[in-house]
Amino acid sequence: MNSKRKGVGLSAFTARSQAVSQFASHGDFLRTSNLNALQTQLSVFQSLLHQFSLTHAKDIRSNPTFRAEFARMCNAIGVDPLASSNASRNWKQEGSFWAQMLGGSVNDFYFELAVRVVEVCKDTRAENGGLIPLAEARERVTKGRAIGGGMEVSDDDIVRAVNSLKPLGSGFTLPVVGGRPMVRSVPKELNVDQSTVLDALQMLGYVTVSMLQDNLSWERPRAETVITDLLADSLVWIDLQDEETTYWSPTFIHEAAR
Amino acid sequence: MASSLTPSLAPATTATSYTLPPTGLSEPTRIEPANALPSGNQPSFAYPPLYNFPPFYTLQPNTTTRQAQLQAWSGLIQSYCKYHRTWRLSLVDAIDTPLFRNDALNRRLSLADAQTVLDWMANKDAGGGGGRAEWISTKDKSLAWIYWRRPEEWAELIAGWVDDTGQKNTVLTFYELMEGEMTTSQEFHGMDPDLFQKSLNLLVKRGRAQVFGSEDQQGVKFF
Repeated sequence: MNSKRKGVGLSAFTARSQAVSQFASHGDFLRTSNLNALQTQLSVFQSLLHQFSLTHAKDIRSNPTFRAEFARMCNAIGVDPLASSNASRNWKQEGSFWAQMLGGSVNDFYFELAVRVVEVCKDTRAENGGLIPLAEARERVTKGRAIGGGMEVSDDDIVRAVNSLKPLGSGFTLPVVGGRPMVRSVPKELNVDQSTVLDALQMLGYVTVSMLQDNLSWERPRAETVITDLLADSLVWIDLQDEETTYWSPTFIHEAAR
Repeated sequence: MASSLTPSLAPATTATSYTLPPTGLSEPTRIEPANALPSGNQPSFAYPPLYNFPPFYTLQPNTTTRQAQLQAWSGLIQSYCKYHRTWRLSLVDAIDTPLFRNDALNRRLSLADAQTVLDWMANKDAGGGGGRAEWISTKDKSLAWIYWRRPEEWAELIAGWVDDTGQKNTVLTFYELMEGEMTTSQEFHGMDPDLFQKSLNLLVKRGRAQVFGSEDQQGVKFF
């Protein structure tokens, strides 16, 4: 249009601008068709997933391995079932992704499991200072307190359940200490020294002040301070019946028995 | 079906791994005819996981941890005494038994610390062990009742059995109740006579039972 008004009569310019506008409209067309195709694919996929989950809802609920595989599949295609459940709740009356797909039972499953995990953490807090190995938490949930009160769950389930607590600001975290996945139920910042000692504790089971001095080349007061802090947070137990005072990680209580 | 069976086996195996190997089981059970438990094949005593944790034998300075530790000791002592049908625990004797010493770990609870544990168990206040023990000799703290059931709980159990078997308003002798054939399947069978009397006295006080007779030939009637 502009080039025409200039009226220099150079048809090359007109042709170019026509080409540009044609490209633009064709681009638009491609985008829409692409979008339509994707939307169709997505709806097909969702209905398939829906069908799949309906057929296998029982398995998803009862079989931890199957559940983990299903959740992994959702993750692989970029669907986070729990995250989407929180996002969709606000603008859709129909409920969460899980609820839509599985009639609410899987979603409820994770929330119920989360409650169990919180209970386990609370029950053992005095003993372990609020740091429990993920595997132990799973075992305790699996066993349950009452007869028939246990749930068959995998580590993956526990992780999902704890993550589902995040919107509550519960302070539950899933740190890895000394290479072992943990559930931490007492929100507290650990300084670098304390984390180092906790890592060492997970590897060795116990430490002594001289071990810390020798291996980390710390001064004695530094090692003692860290130990005193960890004792105060009930993250270590003291043993006075060895040659040197030893400090044990309570996360090993349930492993020593094996 | 098969998928639900396999995982359910896992917790069972971890639970049994805490118990001692079940060798020579039948011997001790046969020696104790007073044992009221009906099972002829009693499993060996299962120590809690903490039993194999070395710091368990050092009283913890941190109050939170110590509370958990005392609770665990209280539980261990109660279940140990229940298993061995020990009604009164003599600390001086028990301190050298596997209850308080773990030779595999070379750890033991000192006599003073064991007294602290029993003090805590005897404490009925908040933050205490809820009266799960009672010193028989308060002065030297060497002998104590261990209440895996407290006297009032024993009283309820006995009164409940009398009620269930329709023997209210019938005079039953102490001997019948404690050693008689009718009660062999009951938990109070073979009970310590003093504790038995102590429990009955609670019922007498509340007017739910009446005790007759003299020292050797005592009887009781429940209302």
